[in-house]
Amino acid sequence: MIKDNVRSTSKVSARKEKWKFSELLADHEIRQRWEKVKKYFYLRESTYDMTNRCNIRCDGCYYYEGEKQFAQENGNPDAWRELMMKEKARGITYVVLAGAEPSLVPRLLKACYGEIPLGCIATNGLRRIPEEIEYKIHISVWGNDETSLRVRRSKHLLMKQIENYVHDPRAMFVYTFTRENIDEVYDVTERIASHDGKITFSMFSSPIGYNGSLRHNKSSLNRTGKVMLDLMSRYPQNVIYSPYNIVAHTHSYGLHELYGCSYPRRNSSTDIGLGRSFRHYRADLSWDRDVACCVPDTVCDECRHYAAGSAVVTARLYRHVSDPDTFKSWLDYVDTYLAVWVKGYEKSINLCHVMIQPPFQP
Amino acid sequence: MTTIRDKQALLHRIAEIIIFELKLEDITPDKFDPDLDLVNELGVDSMDLATVALVLQDEFDIKIDEDDYPKLTNVRLIADYIQKKLKGQTG
Repeated sequence: MIKDNVRSTSKVSARKEKWKFSELLADHEIRQRWEKVKKYFYLRESTYDMTNRCNIRCDGCYYYEGEKQFAQENGNPDAWRELMMKEKARGITYVVLAGAEPSLVPRLLKACYGEIPLGCIATNGLRRIPEEIEYKIHISVWGNDETSLRVRRSKHLLMKQIENYVHDPRAMFVYTFTRENIDEVYDVTERIASHDGKITFSMFSSPIGYNGSLRHNKSSLNRTGKVMLDLMSRYPQNVIYSPYNIVAHTHSYGLHELYGCSYPRRNSSTDIGLGRSFRHYRADLSWDRDVACCVPDTVCDECRHYAAGSAVVTARLYRHVSDPDTFKSWLDYVDTYLAVWVKGYEKSINLCHVMIQPPFQP
Repeated sequence: MTTIRDKQALLHRIAEIIIFELKLEDITPDKFDPDLDLVNELGVDSMDLATVALVLQDEFDIKIDEDDYPKLTNVRLIADYIQKKLKGQTG
């Protein structure tokens, strides 16, 4: 947890006990940002494992944990097209095409894109995804080339990722901080920025049963937060992040404890929201509500994953309507999430520059 | 702050707020069915509902608990909820 530059919500609120929503929106800057992000409230996501194959094997990969890896993959584009039509009919407007390595099945990606045009593909970036598939493309980076060789068994990975996606407006590099690669991010960010690339951050969140050295501890969380902040100021055009993202993702408590995870695996309610609409399809097009989650087979208490936060923090709008700085922080978070996930959405300058603590802590 | 005692006027005002906040087209407050299920029939999602709840809180100067949001699934239920809250404040 970041100690520097932290402002507690209670101090802010001391000036005024509780702000009304309309009072917060009376500020022109806040109102503008609210109107900007509000247009995207219609996004409703689900996640799809496209294949059970991958062209590299990484330590701590959540795909190769649990049952989902054994699903018999369905490689028929017509079956995927039909699934997407059904998904659209039940209100899904955004697809996340993930495990194991979607770039290996471009025909399936095309079939999905043909039916639901908003979405994202999570890839290791070794194989370029055809340009006509205009989803956002998240390229996972887990350290410099030396670390990638050790942890992902892939040579010159970053160089290949950059070559494949240089000047590609779809591309977003996602640097996953582990306990071991924190300072390597400087070199990685420099290389990505020198090619005008965009980078955002995720946090290694242990798969169930993982006991390796990538797992975060208090000290690595603290150090990661400081490095993130430093990078935001060094590369403001390239790093897509906000101070509140740092707070939410490097806090000593995980996302579930701080915000209450709204994915079905931790949320039994089917009344409204993700608990009702979210599904995680396996490569055989089956799904199971009991394990449905954006990063299945991750230890929930340790989950600080960027994808989880995008939904979980965003969903807690009402908890952040308390004072201007807290609400601005939430708006910055949502603005960041949209810039990371929605093609064509441009991030604005962060409204809040101090570290506001989450509105609820256990 | 609005304090509407008349139920019909309250239903009308809630419908107005929902139409405005969710930018609904082709419907007026007069024609808004107070028993229309906002989630199942209108397709309102959690973020929409949270937005509406925040506006209603301001409008009627009440506190809507986070856990109560999923219960507010139609205009009539919302009106009942508001009236109950307002009674609690005065009574």
